[in-house]
Amino acid sequence: MNRFLVVFLSLLVSSVFAYIDEYANLGEQASSIKASGKVFHESPSIIRKMHPEFLRHKRDKTLRQGIRTNEYSLKGCVSCHANKNKINNQYYSVDKQGQFCSDCHKKVGVSFDCFSCHRTVLREDLL
Amino acid sequence: MNKALNRRDFIKIMNATTTGVAIVASGITLTTFASVSETPVTNKKRWGLLIDTNKLTETDIDGMVNACQQEQGWGTEIRSTSSQKPGWIKKLKIKDKATNKVSNLALMCQHCEEPPCVDVCPTNASMKREDGIVLVDKHLCIGCRYCMMACPYDARSFVHETLNNQKEHMPRGKGTVEACTMCVHKVDKGETPACVESVNSEAVIFGNLYDESSQINQTLKIVQSSQIRADLNLNTGVRYSGI
Ligand code: SF4
Ligand code: SF4
Repeated sequence: MNRFLVVFLSLLVSSVFAYIDEYANLGEQASSIKASGKVFHESPSIIRKMHPEFLRHKRDKTLRQGIRTNEYSLKGCVSCHANKNKINNQYYSVDKQGQFCSDCHKKVGVSFDCFSCHRTVLREDLL
Repeated sequence: MNKALNRRDFIKIMNATTTGVAIVASGITLTTFASVSETPVTNKKRWGLLIDTNKLTETDIDGMVNACQQEQGWGTEIRSTSSQKPGWIKKLKIKDKATNKVSNLALMCQHCEEPPCVDVCPTNASMKREDGIVLVDKHLCIGCRYCMMACPYDARSFVHETLNNQKEHMPRGKGTVEACTMCVHKVDKGETPACVESVNSEAVIFGNLYDESSQINQTLKIVQSSQIRADLNLNTGVRYSGI
Protein backbone atom coordinates (compact mmCIF):
# COMPACT_ATOMS: atom_id res chain seq x y z
CA MET A 1 0.00 0.00 0.00
CA ASN A 2 2.78 2.34 1.05
CA ARG A 3 4.59 1.58 -2.15
CA PHE A 4 1.64 2.73 -4.21
CA LEU A 5 1.35 5.86 -2.16
CA VAL A 6 4.98 6.71 -2.88
CA VAL A 7 4.61 6.05 -6.56
CA PHE A 8 1.48 8.11 -6.69
CA LEU A 9 2.91 11.03 -4.75
CA SER A 10 6.19 11.04 -6.61
CA LEU A 11 4.28 11.10 -9.87
CA LEU A 12 2.37 14.06 -8.51
CA VAL A 13 5.55 15.87 -7.50
CA SER A 14 7.30 15.18 -10.78
CA SER A 15 4.27 16.38 -12.69
CA VAL A 16 4.50 19.66 -10.79
CA PHE A 17 8.08 20.02 -11.93
CA ALA A 18 7.16 19.03 -15.45
CA TYR A 19 4.58 21.78 -15.35
CA ILE A 20 7.19 24.31 -14.25
CA ASP A 21 9.52 23.07 -16.97
CA GLU A 22 6.87 23.65 -19.55
CA TYR A 23 6.77 27.28 -18.47
CA ALA A 24 10.54 27.74 -18.13
CA ASN A 25 10.00 30.51 -20.58
CA LEU A 26 8.10 32.54 -18.05
CA GLY A 27 11.39 34.09 -17.06
CA GLU A 28 13.66 33.38 -14.14
CA GLN A 29 12.13 35.53 -11.44
CA ALA A 30 8.61 34.92 -12.64
CA SER A 31 9.18 31.15 -12.55
CA SER A 32 10.52 31.18 -9.02
CA ILE A 33 7.63 33.32 -7.86
CA LYS A 34 5.24 30.87 -9.47
CA ALA A 35 7.07 27.91 -7.92
CA SER A 36 6.91 29.52 -4.50
CA GLY A 37 3.13 29.62 -4.80
CA LYS A 38 3.02 33.39 -4.50
CA VAL A 39 0.64 35.30 -6.68
CA PHE A 40 2.17 38.31 -8.33
CA HIS A 41 -0.43 39.56 -10.80
CA GLU A 42 -3.94 39.97 -9.48
CA SER A 43 -5.12 37.52 -12.12
CA PRO A 44 -3.19 36.09 -15.04
CA SER A 45 -6.24 36.36 -17.29
CA ILE A 46 -6.58 40.08 -16.56
CA ILE A 47 -2.90 40.72 -17.12
CA ARG A 48 -2.99 38.70 -20.33
CA LYS A 49 -5.89 40.66 -21.68
CA MET A 50 -5.17 44.09 -20.29
CA HIS A 51 -1.38 44.47 -20.33
CA PRO A 52 -1.33 46.81 -23.35
CA GLU A 53 -3.77 49.16 -21.63
CA PHE A 54 -1.86 49.01 -18.35
CA LEU A 55 1.38 49.79 -20.12
CA ARG A 56 -0.15 52.60 -22.18
CA HIS A 57 -1.65 54.20 -19.08
CA LYS A 58 1.60 53.86 -17.21
CA ARG A 59 3.73 55.24 -20.02
CA ASP A 60 1.58 58.37 -20.31
CA LYS A 61 1.70 58.95 -16.58
CA THR A 62 5.46 58.47 -16.48
CA LEU A 63 6.31 60.60 -19.48
CA ARG A 64 3.77 63.36 -19.12
CA GLN A 65 3.28 63.61 -15.37
CA GLY A 66 6.56 62.31 -14.00
CA ILE A 67 4.92 59.51 -12.00
CA ARG A 68 7.67 56.93 -12.05
CA THR A 69 6.15 54.20 -9.92
CA ASN A 70 7.03 50.58 -10.17
CA GLU A 71 3.59 49.25 -10.99
CA TYR A 72 3.11 48.13 -14.60
CA SER A 73 6.48 49.50 -15.61
CA LEU A 74 8.04 47.89 -18.65
CA LYS A 75 11.31 47.67 -16.72
CA GLY A 76 9.49 45.64 -14.09
CA CYS A 77 8.00 43.28 -16.69
CA VAL A 78 11.37 42.74 -18.33
CA SER A 79 13.32 42.18 -15.13
CA CYS A 80 10.89 39.47 -14.03
CA HIS A 81 10.38 37.74 -17.36
CA ALA A 82 13.97 37.76 -18.62
CA ASN A 83 16.08 34.62 -19.01
CA LYS A 84 19.79 34.13 -18.79
CA ASN A 85 21.88 32.10 -21.19
CA LYS A 86 23.29 29.45 -18.83
CA ILE A 87 26.48 29.07 -20.85
CA ASN A 88 27.78 32.62 -21.07
CA ASN A 89 25.73 34.01 -18.16
CA GLN A 90 24.32 36.81 -20.33
CA TYR A 91 20.67 37.80 -20.49
CA TYR A 92 18.81 37.03 -23.70
CA SER A 93 17.18 39.90 -25.55
CA VAL A 94 13.53 39.86 -24.50
CA ASP A 95 12.40 40.29 -28.09
CA LYS A 96 14.31 37.24 -29.33
CA GLN A 97 12.62 34.03 -30.38
CA GLY A 98 11.87 31.74 -27.47
CA GLN A 99 11.59 34.51 -24.92
CA PHE A 100 8.49 35.36 -22.96
CA CYS A 101 7.17 38.46 -24.73
CA SER A 102 8.00 37.43 -28.27
CA ASP A 103 6.81 33.85 -27.85
CA CYS A 104 3.33 34.84 -26.77
CA HIS A 105 3.05 37.62 -29.31
CA LYS A 106 4.10 35.25 -32.01
CA LYS A 107 1.61 32.66 -30.86
CA VAL A 108 -1.31 35.08 -31.01
CA GLY A 109 -0.01 36.79 -34.15
CA VAL A 110 0.23 40.29 -32.69
CA SER A 111 3.29 42.35 -33.49
CA PHE A 112 4.78 44.69 -30.92
CA ASP A 113 7.39 47.36 -31.26
CA CYS A 114 8.15 48.41 -27.68
CA PHE A 115 11.63 47.08 -28.11
CA SER A 116 12.58 49.03 -31.18
CA CYS A 117 13.16 51.88 -28.70
CA HIS A 118 13.28 50.23 -25.28
CA ARG A 119 16.36 48.34 -24.21
CA THR A 120 16.03 44.62 -24.92
CA VAL A 121 18.71 43.21 -22.63
CA LEU A 122 18.15 43.33 -18.91
CA ARG A 123 20.77 45.31 -17.08
CA GLU A 124 22.25 43.27 -14.27
CA ASP A 125 22.42 46.11 -11.75
CA LEU A 126 18.74 46.86 -12.19
CA LEU A 127 17.80 43.75 -10.26
CA MET B 1 13.97 -1.61 -5.31
CA ASN B 2 12.64 -4.26 -2.94
CA LYS B 3 12.89 -2.06 0.06
CA ALA B 4 9.63 -0.33 0.47
CA LEU B 5 9.93 3.16 1.81
CA ASN B 6 8.30 3.58 5.15
CA ARG B 7 6.36 6.65 6.09
CA ARG B 8 9.34 8.23 7.87
CA ASP B 9 11.63 7.90 4.79
CA PHE B 10 8.93 9.34 2.66
CA ILE B 11 8.60 12.39 4.88
CA LYS B 12 12.38 12.81 4.72
CA ILE B 13 12.29 12.84 0.95
CA MET B 14 9.38 15.19 0.90
CA ASN B 15 11.21 17.52 3.26
CA ALA B 16 14.23 17.54 1.00
CA THR B 17 12.03 18.45 -1.93
CA THR B 18 10.31 21.22 -0.02
CA THR B 19 13.65 22.68 1.02
CA GLY B 20 14.65 22.72 -2.62
CA VAL B 21 11.62 24.76 -3.49
CA ALA B 22 12.17 27.07 -0.54
CA ILE B 23 15.70 27.81 -1.72
CA VAL B 24 14.43 28.65 -5.16
CA ALA B 25 11.77 30.84 -3.59
CA SER B 26 14.17 32.67 -1.31
CA GLY B 27 16.28 33.54 -4.35
CA ILE B 28 13.60 35.98 -5.47
CA THR B 29 14.65 39.55 -5.38
CA LEU B 30 11.91 41.75 -6.66
CA THR B 31 13.01 44.76 -8.62
CA THR B 32 13.17 47.84 -6.48
CA PHE B 33 13.34 51.37 -7.78
CA ALA B 34 14.37 54.53 -6.03
CA SER B 35 11.53 56.04 -4.06
CA VAL B 36 9.41 58.08 -6.41
CA SER B 37 6.65 60.61 -6.33
CA GLU B 38 3.15 59.37 -7.00
CA THR B 39 1.74 62.81 -7.64
CA PRO B 40 1.92 64.53 -11.03
CA VAL B 41 4.41 67.36 -11.52
CA THR B 42 2.82 70.80 -11.26
CA ASN B 43 3.45 74.30 -12.59
CA LYS B 44 4.52 75.40 -9.10
CA LYS B 45 8.02 74.65 -10.29
CA ARG B 46 9.92 75.58 -13.41
CA TRP B 47 13.22 73.88 -14.01
CA GLY B 48 15.99 75.89 -15.59
CA LEU B 49 19.69 76.20 -16.23
CA LEU B 50 22.01 79.18 -15.98
CA ILE B 51 25.21 78.90 -17.97
CA ASP B 52 28.01 81.36 -17.22
CA THR B 53 30.03 81.59 -20.43
CA ASN B 54 32.84 83.46 -18.69
CA LYS B 55 33.49 80.61 -16.28
CA LEU B 56 32.82 77.80 -18.75
CA THR B 57 35.98 76.61 -20.49
CA GLU B 58 36.04 74.67 -23.74
CA THR B 59 37.11 71.61 -21.79
CA ASP B 60 34.08 72.04 -19.55
CA ILE B 61 31.81 72.06 -22.59
CA ASP B 62 33.45 68.94 -24.02
CA GLY B 63 32.92 67.35 -20.63
CA MET B 64 29.25 68.32 -20.70
CA VAL B 65 28.75 66.82 -24.16
CA ASN B 66 30.50 63.68 -23.01
CA ALA B 67 28.46 63.41 -19.82
CA CYS B 68 25.26 63.81 -21.80
CA GLN B 69 26.28 61.06 -24.24
CA GLN B 70 27.17 58.71 -21.39
CA GLU B 71 23.98 59.41 -19.49
CA GLN B 72 21.56 59.28 -22.40
CA GLY B 73 23.35 56.88 -24.72
CA TRP B 74 23.52 58.92 -27.93
CA GLY B 75 26.57 59.48 -30.09
CA THR B 76 27.53 55.91 -30.95
CA GLU B 77 25.48 55.81 -34.16
CA ILE B 78 27.62 54.14 -36.79
CA ARG B 79 25.61 54.26 -39.99
CA SER B 80 24.50 57.89 -39.86
CA THR B 81 26.39 60.56 -41.78
CA SER B 82 27.82 63.41 -39.75
CA SER B 83 24.84 65.62 -40.56
CA GLN B 84 22.47 62.84 -39.52
CA LYS B 85 24.13 62.08 -36.20
CA PRO B 86 22.23 63.18 -33.11
CA GLY B 87 23.50 66.12 -31.06
CA TRP B 88 21.57 66.79 -27.90
CA ILE B 89 24.06 69.35 -26.67
CA LYS B 90 26.56 71.22 -28.82
CA LYS B 91 29.61 73.37 -28.44
CA LEU B 92 29.05 76.68 -30.12
CA LYS B 93 31.52 79.51 -30.71
CA ILE B 94 30.08 82.98 -31.06
CA LYS B 95 32.04 86.07 -31.97
CA ASP B 96 31.02 89.63 -31.32
CA LYS B 97 31.66 91.33 -34.66
CA ALA B 98 32.46 94.67 -33.06
CA THR B 99 34.85 93.56 -30.35
CA ASN B 100 35.99 90.18 -31.70
CA LYS B 101 35.26 88.66 -28.31
CA VAL B 102 34.77 84.93 -28.71
CA SER B 103 32.48 83.07 -26.32
CA ASN B 104 31.91 79.37 -26.04
CA LEU B 105 28.40 78.18 -25.45
CA ALA B 106 26.90 74.87 -24.57
CA LEU B 107 23.65 74.79 -26.49
CA MET B 108 20.92 72.29 -25.78
CA CYS B 109 17.13 72.39 -25.94
CA GLN B 110 16.21 75.68 -24.29
CA HIS B 111 13.01 74.26 -22.75
CA CYS B 112 10.96 77.19 -24.01
CA GLU B 113 7.86 78.25 -22.13
CA GLU B 114 6.18 78.87 -25.50
CA PRO B 115 7.82 76.07 -27.50
CA PRO B 116 7.39 76.33 -31.28
CA CYS B 117 8.18 72.59 -31.52
CA VAL B 118 5.03 71.83 -29.51
CA ASP B 119 2.93 74.26 -31.56
CA VAL B 120 3.68 72.57 -34.86
CA CYS B 121 3.62 68.92 -33.78
CA PRO B 122 0.65 67.27 -35.51
CA THR B 123 0.39 64.33 -33.09
CA ASN B 124 1.00 65.91 -29.68
CA ALA B 125 4.24 63.99 -29.39
CA SER B 126 6.18 67.20 -28.71
CA MET B 127 4.99 68.24 -25.31
CA LYS B 128 5.80 70.40 -22.34
CA ARG B 129 5.45 69.07 -18.85
CA GLU B 130 3.82 71.25 -16.23
CA ASP B 131 7.22 71.95 -14.71
CA GLY B 132 8.56 73.37 -17.96
CA ILE B 133 10.54 70.41 -19.30
CA VAL B 134 9.94 69.91 -23.03
CA LEU B 135 9.98 66.31 -24.22
CA VAL B 136 9.23 64.13 -27.22
CA ASP B 137 6.75 61.32 -26.63
CA LYS B 138 8.22 58.74 -28.94
CA HIS B 139 5.12 56.60 -28.64
CA LEU B 140 3.32 59.28 -30.64
CA CYS B 141 6.16 60.64 -32.79
CA ILE B 142 5.62 59.86 -36.48
CA GLY B 143 8.99 61.25 -37.53
CA CYS B 144 7.64 64.13 -39.62
CA ARG B 145 10.34 66.45 -38.27
CA TYR B 146 8.20 69.60 -38.28
CA CYS B 147 9.46 70.30 -34.77
CA MET B 148 13.05 70.20 -35.98
CA MET B 149 12.22 72.84 -38.57
CA ALA B 150 10.30 74.94 -36.07
CA CYS B 151 12.99 74.96 -33.36
CA PRO B 152 15.06 78.14 -33.61
CA TYR B 153 17.96 76.52 -31.75
CA ASP B 154 18.45 73.44 -33.90
CA ALA B 155 18.11 71.54 -30.65
CA ARG B 156 16.47 68.40 -31.97
CA SER B 157 17.83 65.44 -33.89
CA PHE B 158 16.32 62.54 -35.75
CA VAL B 159 17.38 58.94 -35.30
CA HIS B 160 18.29 57.51 -38.70
CA GLU B 161 19.31 53.98 -37.79
CA THR B 162 18.26 50.92 -35.84
CA LEU B 163 19.63 51.07 -32.32
CA ASN B 164 20.11 48.61 -29.50
CA ASN B 165 21.38 48.57 -25.95
CA GLN B 166 19.72 51.87 -25.19
CA LYS B 167 19.81 53.19 -21.65
CA GLU B 168 16.87 51.68 -19.80
CA HIS B 169 15.72 55.16 -18.72
CA MET B 170 16.07 56.64 -22.20
CA PRO B 171 14.34 54.68 -24.94
CA ARG B 172 15.55 55.83 -28.36
CA GLY B 173 14.58 54.48 -31.73
CA LYS B 174 14.83 54.86 -35.46
CA GLY B 175 12.30 57.20 -37.00
CA THR B 176 11.73 59.39 -33.98
CA VAL B 177 12.91 62.85 -32.94
CA GLU B 178 14.86 63.42 -29.74
CA ALA B 179 16.44 66.24 -27.76
CA CYS B 180 17.81 67.17 -24.34
CA THR B 181 15.32 66.02 -21.70
CA MET B 182 16.93 68.11 -18.96
CA CYS B 183 17.72 64.64 -17.61
CA VAL B 184 14.12 64.37 -16.47
CA HIS B 185 14.68 60.81 -15.17
CA LYS B 186 17.22 62.22 -12.70
CA VAL B 187 15.34 65.41 -11.90
CA ASP B 188 12.27 63.38 -10.93
CA LYS B 189 14.42 61.57 -8.38
CA GLY B 190 15.70 64.86 -6.97
CA GLU B 191 19.03 64.66 -8.78
CA THR B 192 20.88 67.08 -11.05
CA PRO B 193 21.29 66.77 -14.86
CA ALA B 194 24.40 64.91 -15.94
CA CYS B 195 25.96 67.84 -17.81
CA VAL B 196 25.63 70.07 -14.75
CA GLU B 197 27.24 67.42 -12.55
CA SER B 198 30.18 67.14 -14.94
CA VAL B 199 31.22 70.79 -14.43
CA ASN B 200 33.13 71.34 -11.22
CA SER B 201 32.92 75.11 -11.08
CA GLU B 202 29.68 77.03 -10.65
CA ALA B 203 29.61 77.72 -14.36
CA VAL B 204 26.34 75.83 -14.78
CA ILE B 205 23.55 76.10 -12.23
CA PHE B 206 20.45 73.97 -12.32
CA GLY B 207 17.34 74.57 -10.28
CA ASN B 208 13.80 75.74 -9.83
CA LEU B 209 13.41 79.20 -11.37
CA TYR B 210 10.31 79.95 -9.27
CA ASP B 211 11.88 79.09 -5.92
CA GLU B 212 13.09 82.33 -4.30
CA SER B 213 15.61 80.44 -2.21
CA SER B 214 17.17 78.46 -5.05
CA GLN B 215 20.67 79.29 -6.18
CA ILE B 216 19.57 79.80 -9.76
CA ASN B 217 16.82 82.23 -8.80
CA GLN B 218 19.13 84.24 -6.55
CA THR B 219 21.94 84.34 -9.09
CA LEU B 220 19.59 85.47 -11.86
CA LYS B 221 18.58 88.38 -9.63
CA ILE B 222 22.12 89.71 -9.32
CA VAL B 223 23.83 88.91 -12.60
CA GLN B 224 23.16 90.12 -16.10
CA SER B 225 21.78 87.22 -18.09
CA SER B 226 20.25 86.76 -21.49
CA GLN B 227 18.17 84.38 -23.51
CA ILE B 228 19.46 83.34 -26.87
CA ARG B 229 17.17 84.91 -29.47
CA ALA B 230 15.26 86.72 -26.74
CA ASP B 231 13.48 88.58 -29.56
CA LEU B 232 11.42 85.44 -30.22
CA ASN B 233 9.70 85.78 -26.84
CA LEU B 234 9.87 82.07 -26.09
CA ASN B 235 10.89 82.61 -22.45
CA THR B 236 13.52 79.91 -22.41
CA GLY B 237 14.33 77.85 -19.34
CA VAL B 238 18.04 77.93 -20.20
CA ARG B 239 19.72 81.28 -19.59
CA TYR B 240 23.24 82.51 -20.30
CA SER B 241 25.39 85.06 -18.55
CA GLY B 242 28.62 86.58 -19.81
CA ILE B 243 27.53 87.07 -23.41
S1 SF4 C 1 14.56 74.78 -27.83
FE1 SF4 C 1 13.59 73.95 -29.63
S2 SF4 C 1 13.11 71.83 -29.05
FE2 SF4 C 1 13.54 72.94 -27.15
S3 SF4 C 1 11.54 73.65 -26.44
FE3 SF4 C 1 12.41 75.33 -27.65
S4 SF4 C 1 11.60 74.99 -29.70
FE4 SF4 C 1 11.29 73.09 -28.58
S1 SF4 D 1 20.30 68.14 -19.17
FE1 SF4 D 1 20.78 65.97 -19.55
S2 SF4 D 1 19.94 65.63 -21.60
FE2 SF4 D 1 20.10 67.87 -21.38
S3 SF4 D 1 22.11 68.39 -22.22
FE3 SF4 D 1 22.37 68.07 -20.01
S4 SF4 D 1 22.99 65.92 -19.82
FE4 SF4 D 1 22.10 66.17 -21.87
